[in-house]
Amino acid sequence: MTDAATVRDVAALARLAISDQDIENATAEFNQTLALFDALSSADTTNAAPMINPLDSEQPLRVDRIETLVDRAALMQNAPASEDDYFLVPRVLD
Amino acid sequence: MAELFETISSLAKQLDAEHVSSRELVEDAIARTERLNPELNAVIALDKPGALAAADKADKARADGATSPLLGVPMLHKDIFCTRGVRTSCASKMLADFVPPYDATVVKKLDDAGMVRLGKCNMDEFAMGSSNETSFFGAVKNPWDFNRVPGGSSGGSAAAVAAGLTPLATGTDTGGSIRQPAALCGITGLKPTYGRVSRYGMIAFASSMDQAGPMARTAEDCALALNAMAGHDPLDSTCADISVPDYSAGLEQSIEGLRVGIPKEFFSSHLNDGIAATVTAAVKELEAAGAVIVDVSLPSTDLGVSTYYVIAPAEASANLSRYDGVRYGYRCDSPSNLQDLYVRSRTEGFGEEVKRRILIGTFTLSAASYDQYFMKAQQVRRLIAEEYQSVLKDVDVIAGPSAPNTAFVLNDDSKSITDMYMEDVYTIGANLAGLPAISVPAGLVNGLPVGMQLIGSRFCEAQLLNIAHQFQRRTDWHSLTPNLEGLTG
Repeated sequence: MTDAATVRDVAALARLAISDQDIENATAEFNQTLALFDALSSADTTNAAPMINPLDSEQPLRVDRIETLVDRAALMQNAPASEDDYFLVPRVLD
Repeated sequence: MAELFETISSLAKQLDAEHVSSRELVEDAIARTERLNPELNAVIALDKPGALAAADKADKARADGATSPLLGVPMLHKDIFCTRGVRTSCASKMLADFVPPYDATVVKKLDDAGMVRLGKCNMDEFAMGSSNETSFFGAVKNPWDFNRVPGGSSGGSAAAVAAGLTPLATGTDTGGSIRQPAALCGITGLKPTYGRVSRYGMIAFASSMDQAGPMARTAEDCALALNAMAGHDPLDSTCADISVPDYSAGLEQSIEGLRVGIPKEFFSSHLNDGIAATVTAAVKELEAAGAVIVDVSLPSTDLGVSTYYVIAPAEASANLSRYDGVRYGYRCDSPSNLQDLYVRSRTEGFGEEVKRRILIGTFTLSAASYDQYFMKAQQVRRLIAEEYQSVLKDVDVIAGPSAPNTAFVLNDDSKSITDMYMEDVYTIGANLAGLPAISVPAGLVNGLPVGMQLIGSRFCEAQLLNIAHQFQRRTDWHSLTPNLEGLTG
């Protein structure tokens, strides 16, 4: 069982907020999902290597050459706030 | 006059014979969508000028002598594929105003084949869901019963094909998101082998399982679409550099002697009795066509659900960390500082199911839980993949139900979160193991469609399509259409 404080800590790691009103329900749902995972402990995985990629493929390497797939101006059009070629965020240093 | 319940193959013949033009087909599709979609909610972006221009271009190309089975045929994309200049939202408030400056490889390939994109299909937000109820743009309704869900996450794509808005829609399948809605809406949906189709420009959910595929009326049409969609892409390092066969070439082969494995675990207590009987009858049809039916066992089937719901949210929590309100996507109003910008943009921009999965994924990846949950799930994934490989040494394909239930009612409060996750119990294994799988219409239970799933060995899509086509030669379940008369007036 995980308590509300842990769920709040996890939310902070994920940069999400949970209101006081929602925390009880969020914790209950969290525990309901974790209970689903309990079944994993029944599996004997002594000799099982973790499977990260279903094809177990090796990372292919390409020639290290600069290519422009999308131009900068087009990308910047989706920025919520920008100035020249920079993304604007709240002031970090006073 | 051609109509949109017809298959791609049939429409292509009529286009070739000049019985219909691409412009006429596209105008029909637009009119039909405008008439039906206010109730269905399957389409969340309709690009009329773009579609009509593409149709005219296709008509001109055909007049100039170009031929292609897909040329001038209208289609829809799941709104998870980036489309240059056309909003791509992933059905999330987070991306409600996102207009990509590039096309996904799948989009480009189908454009290059001459298909005409009509617009974008609704879906579960960030592909997280099995009912299409988590969309920011509202739930999609099942054309067979408007009080029921179409399945998910590619629910808009499935409903659009089932309602005759289009002969083809793209979907993506991370844990069953092509096959389950295909089953619930009575259409054919193929999840290719992981790595068969490029993921470039496909908004990421769980990168080790996400795979794009076609959703259409028939296996024959899925083959035509896969011919265009599949192939190596240097822009996706997980896309396999393996040649693409002609998936249409072997459709007519006999399935005499083919060994079909029936896992007893796929007919367990989770399964609706009517679906069990329907799928059993469908398997007998394969037997009548000459297939040899073999009892097999996949003992870790139920464990797949736990495994998937550890791994997929973990990968999602990492993938969705990019949405921070800085470079693109939703940004909260008047952030007081950078931390506030991140937290409020994410909290306000993501829906409840997405946040639930990010939380679980963040937890299982945290140092204290990593070995107990994430590492353990990766090991169980290995066991599950080995079980499938072992069974597929003895049989050519595995057959069973696509989903444990027919379409359930919308807003069903009696279904818990984990009940909803169990909807994926029969589809998840193919994603964990990276195998191709197809769902084909196999009958009706209480007037609602049922799908039979066929799972094959890696890169054996041609075999699955061959079996599915032979099944569809012998049955007419794929030809049934929902009664939409009340809406078509």
